[in-house]
Amino acid sequence: MTQDRDRVDRFLPLKPLVLDVLLALAGGKRHGWSLIREIQQRDGGDRILPANFYRSLRALRDEGLIDEVRGEATDDRGEPLELARDRRRQYFELSPLGAKVARAEVKRLEALVVDPRARKLLKAR
Amino acid sequence: MRISRSLYRSLLRLCPPDFRAEFGAEMEDAFAASLAGARGVHKIAVWLRALGDLVRHGTGARHDAWRRFRNTSGHVEYRSGGWWMDTFRHDLRHAARAIARQPVTSMIVIFTLALAIGANTAVFSAVHTALLRQLPYIEPDALVQIYEKRPAEGVFTNSVSPADYQDWAQLSTSFSVIAAALESAVDLTGSGEPERLNAASVTASFFDVFGVRALHGRTFAAGEDTTGRNRVVVLEHGLWQQRFGGDPSIVGSTIQLNDIPNQVIGVLPPDARFPIGEARLFVPVVLQPTPERPPRASHYLTVVARLKPGVAIEQARAEMDRIGRDLEAQYPDLSRGHGSHVVPLAPEMVKGVRSMLLVLSAAVAFIMLIAWINVTNLLLASTAGRNREMAVRAAIGAGRTRLLRQMLVETSLLATIGGVAGMLVAYWGVQLLATQMPPTHRPHASVLMSMPVLLFTAGACVLSGLLAGILPAWHLVGSDPATALKEGGRSPVALRRRLRFGLIVAEIACTTLLLVGAGLTLRSFRQVLMEPAGIETAERLTFNIRLPRARYATPESFAQFFGELARRIADEPAVRRVGATSSLPLTPGDPRYGIVVDGYERGPEDGPTRAHPRAVTPGYLSAVGMRIVEGRALSDADRHGPKVVVINETMARRYWRSGSALGGRVRMSAEQDWREVVGVSADVKHWGLDAPVAAEMYIPLEQFPQQAMWMVVESAATPASLVPVLTQHVRQLDPNLPLSNVRTFDDVAARSVGQRRFTMMLLASFAVLALVLAAAGIYGVMAHLVSLRTPEIGVRLTLGARPGAVMRQVLGEGALQAGIGLIIGLAASFTLMRGMRAILFGIEPTDPVTLGSVGVSLMLVALLAVLVPAVRAMRVDPITALRQ
Repeated sequence: MTQDRDRVDRFLPLKPLVLDVLLALAGGKRHGWSLIREIQQRDGGDRILPANFYRSLRALRDEGLIDEVRGEATDDRGEPLELARDRRRQYFELSPLGAKVARAEVKRLEALVVDPRARKLLKAR
Repeated sequence: MRISRSLYRSLLRLCPPDFRAEFGAEMEDAFAASLAGARGVHKIAVWLRALGDLVRHGTGARHDAWRRFRNTSGHVEYRSGGWWMDTFRHDLRHAARAIARQPVTSMIVIFTLALAIGANTAVFSAVHTALLRQLPYIEPDALVQIYEKRPAEGVFTNSVSPADYQDWAQLSTSFSVIAAALESAVDLTGSGEPERLNAASVTASFFDVFGVRALHGRTFAAGEDTTGRNRVVVLEHGLWQQRFGGDPSIVGSTIQLNDIPNQVIGVLPPDARFPIGEARLFVPVVLQPTPERPPRASHYLTVVARLKPGVAIEQARAEMDRIGRDLEAQYPDLSRGHGSHVVPLAPEMVKGVRSMLLVLSAAVAFIMLIAWINVTNLLLASTAGRNREMAVRAAIGAGRTRLLRQMLVETSLLATIGGVAGMLVAYWGVQLLATQMPPTHRPHASVLMSMPVLLFTAGACVLSGLLAGILPAWHLVGSDPATALKEGGRSPVALRRRLRFGLIVAEIACTTLLLVGAGLTLRSFRQVLMEPAGIETAERLTFNIRLPRARYATPESFAQFFGELARRIADEPAVRRVGATSSLPLTPGDPRYGIVVDGYERGPEDGPTRAHPRAVTPGYLSAVGMRIVEGRALSDADRHGPKVVVINETMARRYWRSGSALGGRVRMSAEQDWREVVGVSADVKHWGLDAPVAAEMYIPLEQFPQQAMWMVVESAATPASLVPVLTQHVRQLDPNLPLSNVRTFDDVAARSVGQRRFTMMLLASFAVLALVLAAAGIYGVMAHLVSLRTPEIGVRLTLGARPGAVMRQVLGEGALQAGIGLIIGLAASFTLMRGMRAILFGIEPTDPVTLGSVGVSLMLVALLAVLVPAVRAMRVDPITALRQ
């Protein structure tokens, strides 16, 4: 257990993008494309850059924070035809470790927000 | 949109292939979506962001993969940046291990590269100092040197007469400052040992031309170059340090120069150097007509000037040509055919060493090439054993570029170690080269630490590392891992063999060029030495004495002193012969006078009538072993008899075209009395063994008294034992006179060909080095080939091939390589050696003797190098060979 906690702590603090991905996956399995869209809608604008996003996604998978599950290409209708062709869509879901890490990070942020100094800061605004 | 998509798709190649395969399509979609959502200029912003994203994270993703591969501990760091440094460190570590694994090969490679890089760095340092760097003066491009030219005689760089200088200074408007200078020497007496110092006599404007200010005190003020105000002196920094302890209070005090008090008015900054000998101190020159130096007919000044801002050198030339024509019209006797020759100062200052430096640059470049080929060959041979290593690494997933980079890091490391060692070679080389450079451009060892030289050396290291590594690395990486693993470490022979064959041919060709270059300089050096000098230099000691005006006021006292000194020295039992002359052959400093020859009609094509007079004691001609071809030599009786002269053959031919010169009459323009020609001497190579001879006249000292004379003493005794005796004689006559330039005449002669000898020695050692490298290269390749073909040779011997035939085949192969290389080299030398013409003497660049002997000796060395592998091939034991 202590070993597990060490592993979790090592990932903290998370980059905003990583936390975004983990939070989005907390709602269930998703594929990369819809992750981008959701995060973009929540944050506004097109801040998400493909290479950065997929590199992070791959890193998360390789570190075991998320798991990959295969789905069917036919699920997707909103795609231009020539690109949807012959593609097996990858789905991702939160792994137990990923869930722990996300939880730890949210707790950490929460602790920050309830800090009296942070409240003062928020009030002042 | 289609175009944008396909453009983005091609940019996706920045990402590693597996990443691209997995996410490429989705990334493309994401990009397309954000592009579709943007309007107008925002599209550009989207593009720019996407580009940055791909560069940063696409290439970054490559590194992610590598890091995972390395991190076997499972420990993961979230750290960005520095990834390439990390791999580089790894490569470096691996390279160090690989180098340490083959110490002998590595040492040879490092040693070869150290020699090549060192030689190149040293020569580049000299080239940088002399040819590339700007002169250390204010606006150096505006500086010019002005010569007197006489196109009819083919003379363009003559010294200038005082009258011409003064006319130019007065009439020209192109120059902001113009100055004249001449090399001189003064005796510094008074405090401590009397010392003869090189000095420069300069007009007051001299330092203004260069824009040099004094470190302490001041330089000359206008008007200080006139009689009465000229007892002032400016000290060079080194002299000030050595002789006066670097004491600034010296300014204002008085020192004794030639026994005349001179006030020190200034000290120059440490780096101030001028294109006028190696002057230790500067005194004003007074350009007033004297009987000995008629102002327009004798030429001895160096003239420098600074162009006015905005005036081009062509404008200055045009103006000076106009002035020259006016002067010609004004002084038809003395100035006919004279003009001025205005040239930029910077190249003028190094023209003496320019061709030497260029030839040396070419030579070291070839050394570099040969070293590169040898190292490549060596690495090709040594990597043969590493095929398996590379195959294994490729098989477990190392990419081709990765392996290539690994190999290149390895050779670059070798080259860098070689380069560091090469700095030591360069340190020594710079000091060697410095001995041959003019004082204004003498490279100091510290030049090695200057930015351009460091960059050059670093560049040479990196380049040679990459060049030496690229072929072996490409070869190694290019081979198919599967085959390499199957073959169990043996290399595919055919490609390697063709490659190495080509390399050896190139190496032989380069060596041929170096050998031809060295051979040509060697031959022309021999040619120079074989020139009859007209004098004998063996067993002779020479030294110079200048009498100070303060104590020797009259011309008679000069003749009296030197005559007496010669007589006293002649009485020494060890001394065979002794003589004195105002100009010693093969040493610089030589005035030329306009003369009048009785009965000589100067044609329109002829140059001015002039000759070089030498005041001599009667014993001089025999003391230097000169030969009289007609008439008689000078004798004691001539000292106080009627005015006579002995002339050289060149002068006799030029001015007495028909018949004998004996009995003819000649006088110097400034004199009134005619002199009778009583003898004609054989020509002496006064201006250098490789320089043409001009008209010379030998006049008895009493009839042409000179203040400074060279003594020549012939003796069987060793020079060292003679010097104290001679010094004693001088001291007895005058205790305050220094002897300067005490040297054997042989040494004087050797110095006159010093640069030639130096170039020859350097080129010869380069050529020997090249020959050794080439021989080692041929040997290495042939030995390796024989060892690779041992099984094949074994089969052939078993099937009945004669051992002799096997040997002949190996020999033939070596001879073929050498032969092709030789032919290419010789062919190239026909064109390339034309650049050597400037430093050759007496032979053509296509000298058949040189080319022939180079060919023969190179072939012999090549065959010798192949002989050992050939004999080994012949002695292959079929049984053992087949068992392998």
